[in-house]
Amino acid sequence: MTNHWIDIKNADVILVMGANPASNHPISMHWATKAKERGSKLICVDPRFTQTASISDVYAPLRPGTDISLLGGMIKYILDNDLIQRDYVLNYTNASCIVSEEYDFDADSGLFSGYDPSKRRYDKTKWKYVSTNGELSEPEKDMTLAHPRCVYQLMKKHYARYDFDTVSKVTGTPVKDLETVYKTFASTHYPDKAGTVLYAMGYTQHLVGVQNIRCMAVIQLLLGNIGVAGGGINALRGESNVQGSTDHGLLFHILTGYLKTPTASMVTLEDYKKVATPKTIGKNSINWWSNTPKYMVSYLKSMYGDNATAENQFGYIWMPRLDDGVDYSWLNIFDAMYEGKIKGCFAWGMNPACSSANTNKVRPALAKLDWLVNVNIFPNETGWFWEDPNLGIKPSDVKTEVFVLPAAASIEKEGSISNSGRWMQWRYKGADAPGDALPDADIMHLIFVELKELYKKEKGKFPEPILNLRWDEYFHHNEVDAEAVAKDINGYFLADVTNAEGKTIYKKGDLVPTFGALLEDGRTSSGSWVYTGSFTQDGKNKSKNRIREKSGIGLNPGWAWSWPVNRRIIYNLAGVDKNGVPYNKNLPVIWWDAAEKKWKGDVVDGPATLPPMAMEGGKLPFIMNEEGLGRLWSTKLEDGPFPEHYEPFESPFDKNPFNKQPFNPASKIFNGPMDKRAISGGSEFPLICSTYRVTEHWQTGVMTRHTPWLLEIQPQIFVEMSEELAKEKGINAGEVVEVSSARGSVLAVAVPTKRIKPMTVMGKTVHTVGLPWCFGWKTANAGDSANILTPNAGDANTMIPETKSFLVNVKKAPGKTLLTDKAPAARRRA
Amino acid sequence: MSNAILVDTTKCIGCRSCQVSCKQSNMLPSEETHLEGRNSRLQNPPVLSAKTFTIVTNYEVDDPKAPGGLKWVFAKRQCMHCNDPACASACPVTALHKQKNGAVTYDSAKCMGCRYCVWACPFGIPTAEWDSLAPRIRKCDMCFHRMVDAAVPAELNGTPLSADTKQLLVNSQQTPACVKACTTGALKFGDRDSLISEAWGRIKASPQNYQPHIYGEKEAGGTGYMYLSAVPFEKIGFRTDLGERSYPSYSATIMKAVAPGSIVLGALLAGIYTVIRRRTEVAANGSKQQKKE
Repeated sequence: MTNHWIDIKNADVILVMGANPASNHPISMHWATKAKERGSKLICVDPRFTQTASISDVYAPLRPGTDISLLGGMIKYILDNDLIQRDYVLNYTNASCIVSEEYDFDADSGLFSGYDPSKRRYDKTKWKYVSTNGELSEPEKDMTLAHPRCVYQLMKKHYARYDFDTVSKVTGTPVKDLETVYKTFASTHYPDKAGTVLYAMGYTQHLVGVQNIRCMAVIQLLLGNIGVAGGGINALRGESNVQGSTDHGLLFHILTGYLKTPTASMVTLEDYKKVATPKTIGKNSINWWSNTPKYMVSYLKSMYGDNATAENQFGYIWMPRLDDGVDYSWLNIFDAMYEGKIKGCFAWGMNPACSSANTNKVRPALAKLDWLVNVNIFPNETGWFWEDPNLGIKPSDVKTEVFVLPAAASIEKEGSISNSGRWMQWRYKGADAPGDALPDADIMHLIFVELKELYKKEKGKFPEPILNLRWDEYFHHNEVDAEAVAKDINGYFLADVTNAEGKTIYKKGDLVPTFGALLEDGRTSSGSWVYTGSFTQDGKNKSKNRIREKSGIGLNPGWAWSWPVNRRIIYNLAGVDKNGVPYNKNLPVIWWDAAEKKWKGDVVDGPATLPPMAMEGGKLPFIMNEEGLGRLWSTKLEDGPFPEHYEPFESPFDKNPFNKQPFNPASKIFNGPMDKRAISGGSEFPLICSTYRVTEHWQTGVMTRHTPWLLEIQPQIFVEMSEELAKEKGINAGEVVEVSSARGSVLAVAVPTKRIKPMTVMGKTVHTVGLPWCFGWKTANAGDSANILTPNAGDANTMIPETKSFLVNVKKAPGKTLLTDKAPAARRRA
Repeated sequence: MSNAILVDTTKCIGCRSCQVSCKQSNMLPSEETHLEGRNSRLQNPPVLSAKTFTIVTNYEVDDPKAPGGLKWVFAKRQCMHCNDPACASACPVTALHKQKNGAVTYDSAKCMGCRYCVWACPFGIPTAEWDSLAPRIRKCDMCFHRMVDAAVPAELNGTPLSADTKQLLVNSQQTPACVKACTTGALKFGDRDSLISEAWGRIKASPQNYQPHIYGEKEAGGTGYMYLSAVPFEKIGFRTDLGERSYPSYSATIMKAVAPGSIVLGALLAGIYTVIRRRTEVAANGSKQQKKE
């Protein structure tokens, strides 16, 4: 989130799209209700009339996978009616920047310049600004926005095709609903009005997932809604600590604090600094990532401590590298596992046998492992995959050795979680873990100690990364000291630091107060630079703060601690004009106090000493971008500078009015025997299908299916469909039906409903069905995972699979039942 | 002061947190449920029972004026906590009792198992533990047990509680579990009269969003649970044939006559008995005397 949960109450319009927070983030509705009580409007755009739709002021249905079409239409509506916040767009976005002639878009083919069909990849160097060739190349601008090659005009041209009729034809959304959505949301273009967007997997889990979000970000920039209270682009994270996990380097392509993972071509630390540090564009740009070398060296010092020296490049030589251009994300991991290239796997707090797209590929892939370590709080389908009645392999023939390690649940250990709003909140241990269950860190510790002994004894191929790792100080008697880890994440001074006059300002052993003090020379450490400042020298773990705000706009600076530097709304420098005066005076986030010559309110997004733009030394607000500007046109994504509508991987249509591409031309496609695709526009699988979560179950349901009070409310997999489709197929409510895709089939209880309606798309009637993916065969009578149906085709940038729009068929299944256990009552009792 | 709970169904998102927190607060067992084989709208358990004191019902109601032409209305159902409860009136041993704070509570120590309350309730709420050898009557008690046992710890996470935090915890204990769990403010707990004026305030402030009626303000003589809705109540499963008179009041005249009636009758019978006994004694004495003579 750029903003945070409580800030939702400040919005004048809340657009919920690609999310169903009433079901999946019920607490967010507390704040949405507060906004509604003030007269704010809640818009829900969703293929289904969801629980969120049930309390919305505006509801618009759309065909799954057509978000860019709908949002592209909104961009056109905003531009046609001149509803941009002009001051903001001119000063804080790249609307006025001139784009080089090499950039082009061919509307007929739907391709941008630089496309290589053999690699399904773009050469992104074709997309650049026209700029002077100085040390700080200054982008050429036309502040009248009239230049035919300026971003504003290129955007206008790109979205000219997204007129009401074409958009309605593609999305299936009636024109009057489009008009209502556009008009309502665009009403926030006034400087004192704010619109927020709440999105989740409904945006991301598409071949064009990142572009869905970008399209919305473009709208938010045009309306001046980023950096203000009640605005922003707000990702509703699907797990309580998924924000924390990405902050702390859980993904393959980033280390902690979003530092890039080294690749093979970055041989030395100097190479890394050169390649990973973006070059500043323009003299008014801060380009915060120019600090990358300081953060990287501090990270290495945290990893290897005293073993990291200038001579060994602070241990950079021991860091694991990625092969250049190779993606090591989920779908590729399981593809390699299916190919037999991966021998061992830790499934840690994970249930890929149910959570992964195309589980019919994942489950046999697990059988190709030599060993599998399953760490979880309950038995799950992954650890017991060999028992799966549908695996097609006899349990005695599965050669994989499976180790089950019981873990402590979140309330059985101490530590922090970081919520969607970037708030790091300390949690105290509430109970001891049962039996042999241990906190994850303790399990890792025991494994690490063994491993280190083995490396000491047997040396091995590359022992240094293990032998030189800083480790023992976080553990006492094999138990993790969570606060010691928190301090290390914050970072220490490893030597005295003096100022220009030679006076010592920081002593060796002190905690680093802010990432502004991190150094490139090895005198500081920091496990994750974005968290620097969360643990202070006076012994204060700021994530333990619990002071409720008594007055103000809901920032609650005294409650927990928000990265970075307790800033609650990021890009807040864009929420004030060039003189530091808030665009919305009623809900000021920050403001410049001319008398005291400093910022008041939230922590300013930039150096504390920064003056407003209009003053000497003032800088542009989008400090994480090299050019300091919000990007209406971006050179960073794999699938083009402007979001363009492409049909889903599997679509009921093999043609669309926007372009000739069958689906996102930059997405990686798998071609193995288990990577099956239904032909778009074919008759075998005519129905669109989407998967989703329900309030009662969490992810694959491993935790919640073991909670009888929750299983009681939501006991079985179901498939929702329109009453019209049910009638057409002769399906009754409560009947077990078979849902099948090109990849597999599941049984589910039919739930015909008024909440899904057939749509007319490009002159054809289109039906959508949907299933929750929280069930698994290990729970008696519940049914199996809906991910048996989903395709393992991924987004061009992130490789997140397209589980929100694919093709299926639904058939009656006479005589079939989900009841696997004839006398299950005793097992279900609380 | 009589407490009540206002349910504003226009704010309910159907998250069913109330349903789960009720189970937790009352430590109720789960039920074996299915979707399969019944005409389901994803409601579970299907009905209230001795194991389930509250359920959230949902109804899909066509409404051409609503966004999407549809209203999806969720309503939490449970004991209505009538002002003058028929169950308490029917109970021969006062096991069911309307408390001063508004809750209708049950005392299993007094209950003799006649189940008159089950038949008396116009809302069909009290349920017996049919699978038990010594069945109790079970139903929502507006978390009377929480209010009675309210206990606040001296410290939280090693820090002594501030006065503010202490008050916060006390208030939270004095709130029924379902209301405390409600995310959107669809449930509100407070003084009945103030809730009624607040409810009318909401109706008047946005008449387009509400039916001009508070269900439970007058139904069956007034109830401790009251509802606001955007659609007519009969469309979301509420009985609208109950009238405004409380159920016990229908039988009040005859029931009130029982006590004085039984005294009069008792006195009469005692008198008859005394007279007969005297006569028998007199007759016996007479025969003795005759024998002596």
